[in-house]
Amino acid sequence: MGSSIVSYGLQYAGYLIEASLLLYLAGSRQRKGQASVVFYLGSLLALEAARGWALHAYGLSSWRYFYVYWSTDFLLVVSAFLLVCLFFRRACLHEEKMWRFARLLLVFVFLVVLGISGLIFSHNYSHLFTYFIVEFNQNLYFTCLVLNTLLYLLLQQIESTDDQLGLLVCGVGIQFAGPTAALALLHLTGGERFAQSITTSVMPICNLGMLLVWAYAIVCLRDKETKVARHKIPTLAEVTAESNF
Amino acid sequence: MIVAALVLILSTALFFFYFQVTCQRILRRQFDREYFQSIANANRLEFPSLRKSLEEFGAPVDYSRLRMMLKCDFLALTYLLKNAANVNQRYSHDERLLILYFRWQFLSLAVRRLLRVGENKAILKLTAVLQYFANVVGQRVNAVKFGNLTAADYLLNL
Repeated sequence: MGSSIVSYGLQYAGYLIEASLLLYLAGSRQRKGQASVVFYLGSLLALEAARGWALHAYGLSSWRYFYVYWSTDFLLVVSAFLLVCLFFRRACLHEEKMWRFARLLLVFVFLVVLGISGLIFSHNYSHLFTYFIVEFNQNLYFTCLVLNTLLYLLLQQIESTDDQLGLLVCGVGIQFAGPTAALALLHLTGGERFAQSITTSVMPICNLGMLLVWAYAIVCLRDKETKVARHKIPTLAEVTAESNF
Repeated sequence: MIVAALVLILSTALFFFYFQVTCQRILRRQFDREYFQSIANANRLEFPSLRKSLEEFGAPVDYSRLRMMLKCDFLALTYLLKNAANVNQRYSHDERLLILYFRWQFLSLAVRRLLRVGENKAILKLTAVLQYFANVVGQRVNAVKFGNLTAADYLLNL
């Protein structure tokens, strides 16, 4: 009971930060390069809202909620993959050759995940939601974690000066790695109670962790950049004082 | 079963890797000047001398004394972070994350001590966190004008 209250608290704190970050980005003047963040935050909020609505309308044990839940889960994983793609694009903004290779790699990886999941689905044709989507989501989620780590290594390799992107990638890494580990533990223990409670608490904690790192990257780093930029520009009085009039 | 175990090991390792990298990225923040020295002097903090002795001589220090020094500096700095020239009287998100990182590294220091592997590296990481905290406190105190008081005077009167 206590752990589920904490879990709900963390979940709602996450919604609040997602909405605040979106509002901050909407009101901010510098929107360049933030499309990936806006896209992911927007899809998180919209899909969570859809889930909440379905739960309220149909109830936890209904089939309709079951379908809505797994469909939104599928869309969430696909949007996570697209987020990683957009981060790759941002990292390779001045490296066209690298981007061409990364684009091919991303498409290839997506097709491989789709193929493997499809192969499993072909053996259990009647269970679209229980086999294909669960398998596809797990595979793609783990793939996103691996691709995100590759992106981090790429940023180190090209000595990227985009500090904000570095922190955004680290935040995504926390968000992907925690739940993946928890789900693997759940799978290994065969759904033991302690593994279930770990999974229930790890997921919102990691989501919150990612959002806080993103908030730091978006709000604090931008503030510092603005302050540095302001510091560099001399005022009219300073220019006049320095000149020999 | 083997695949699930591999995924568990890999993703747990990656989780801690990303946690560490995030903290190190926050610690890389540049301050407009070095505030930590005046804060350390005013509060008789020992981490700058500890860091200097490790960097210059790599000399092993008495472990129990070292733990005590780091812990005392950490407690003093976290108190100052919360109370010195902080209108909200609470930690920011990045400070909370770094507090967690410090505790994690403190634990890792004990493990490294047992295994006798990379002790000095862990101590340097801990002093880097303390230096960051001292810089944040110094910057905040510097931003607030207290008549003719310097940052050190203000902290001595706190």
